Amino acid sequence: MKLHRLFGLFIRYMYYFRKSWDRLSDAFYWPAIDVLVWGITSAYVKKIAPDFPQIVLIIMSGLLLWLILWRAQYEISINLLEEFWNRNLINIFVSPVKFSEWVLTVMLLGLVKAIFSLPFAAILAYLLYKFNIFLYGFYMIPFILILFMTGWAVGFFVSGLILRFGTKIQTFAWTTIGLLSPLVAVYYPVSILPPAIQKISYLLPPTYVFEAGRSLIFKGLIDTQGLVISFILNIFYLILSIWFLKLSFDKILNKGLIKPH
Amino acid sequence: MNILSVSNLTKRYGKYLAVNNISFKLREGEILGILGPNGAGKTTTIQMLLGVLTPTAGDISYFGKNFKENREFILERVNFSSTYTNLPWTLTVKESFSFISYFYDIKNRKKRINEIVSLFKLKDLYNSEIKDLSAGELTRVNLAKAFINYPKVLLLDEPTASLDPDIAKYLRKFIINESEKFKVSIILTSHNMAEVEEVCDRVIFLNKGKIIADNTPEKLAKSIKIAHVELFITDGLKRTLEFCKKSNYEYKESSRFLRVDIAEERIHIFLKELANIGVNYNQISIDKPSLEDYFLQVVSK
Repeated sequence: MKLHRLFGLFIRYMYYFRKSWDRLSDAFYWPAIDVLVWGITSAYVKKIAPDFPQIVLIIMSGLLLWLILWRAQYEISINLLEEFWNRNLINIFVSPVKFSEWVLTVMLLGLVKAIFSLPFAAILAYLLYKFNIFLYGFYMIPFILILFMTGWAVGFFVSGLILRFGTKIQTFAWTTIGLLSPLVAVYYPVSILPPAIQKISYLLPPTYVFEAGRSLIFKGLIDTQGLVISFILNIFYLILSIWFLKLSFDKILNKGLIKPH
Repeated sequence: MNILSVSNLTKRYGKYLAVNNISFKLREGEILGILGPNGAGKTTTIQMLLGVLTPTAGDISYFGKNFKENREFILERVNFSSTYTNLPWTLTVKESFSFISYFYDIKNRKKRINEIVSLFKLKDLYNSEIKDLSAGELTRVNLAKAFINYPKVLLLDEPTASLDPDIAKYLRKFIINESEKFKVSIILTSHNMAEVEEVCDRVIFLNKGKIIADNTPEKLAKSIKIAHVELFITDGLKRTLEFCKKSNYEYKESSRFLRVDIAEERIHIFLKELANIGVNYNQISIDKPSLEDYFLQVVSK
């Protein structure tokens, strides 16, 4: 890997990010709207159900953690789509840039952009609802890491599908992560899901993060074993998804990168 | 010295054979044209030479090194321009050159970018977004991009398409100069036969995925042996047309202008026969067979 090539890829996407209203609204507008709407909703529920004061914490922490997962996945899929829309994939791969360098860059981009958009949403949540994301203390570090890993894995899987089937399935870039949201129990405990679904939930790494977050809010305790399982599952999914993406890339090289779709 | 060696290169899409066992070499400083009708396998070949299409069989070596095993080393020294690809729409020319320059191990990036901006006369477009450029400007920017890494081998797919004649002429001269001055080896595809004749040292003619000719443009054109004689018939048009028909000459007539396709060695006989039947003509012109004639003959077969 060469640092100058990673930097070249990085600035390519940052130049675009800086001037794209679509990407800026993804980073700031939608998180702000989510914080606003869910904040008001949880404040209302708190008012009509005074026995359940933790509702604001549960919803706001669920929302902010979900944004991390979404951001990581979205960044990878949308950057690949950008290259398809711009017919620029070939300009990258006729140069010495390696496939692994592109993969690493889009992973890092998700992290960097999260540095912009997450504090923005977190500050907004604090100013409007006095919700402090740092209530999780140092647990925020494994939480963020686990969510990012899952986001990357989903992003690579979706990108692999886009490479295989082209922009006709581009909607997957926006919708696939949504499939996970009811299963990973963002706002409610896994225990309220049907038993069969619970089994699926525990195969998904973010479930352990959201469960741990609620456990910390209600009991002040965390199931560290769950976080370890989550981390191991993530490594498995990440390896699988990168392998799938590489297979898809090799498959597209069998068709050629000029006018691929 | 051979810069590029291609041996037994084949690409198959299911039952369709796009490139069929082709072999050729590119020498240092040589400009090689790849010609052929649509679907002949030109773009498929170029894609395989760039590593963005996996061959079904065959070997590609640049600088004596196997392409598959030395991709990074080779692509540092190779570049490409095509009318079929774009740079990111919303980025400026400056931003595009900047990010692409980082893909290569260039010592002084800013200096190199300034050089190519000046060489390709892009100063006025430097801060324009790619989406605001005309087709011709875009072609120029794409071509400039291909020179960013001081390439030793350039693959140019329709390099002067959509350009104004003056800019196209300037760029053709530039390509020839670069090739001579820095020993850049170039592979070029074009539909402009006059351009190929002007620029290329050698031409490979592809048809249905196979190389059917590999020679200099002059020799390919000469292999046709058919010249075009054009006359303005002032007197005896009817007699002339009857004579052409009877003698089985290929001809076209419009507003007394007659164009006859005829073997070079028979031109003097043809003119003598016209004189014998009392035909008067002026504005005579004789065009030697060109690469375009070769192209048309092969395509019509």
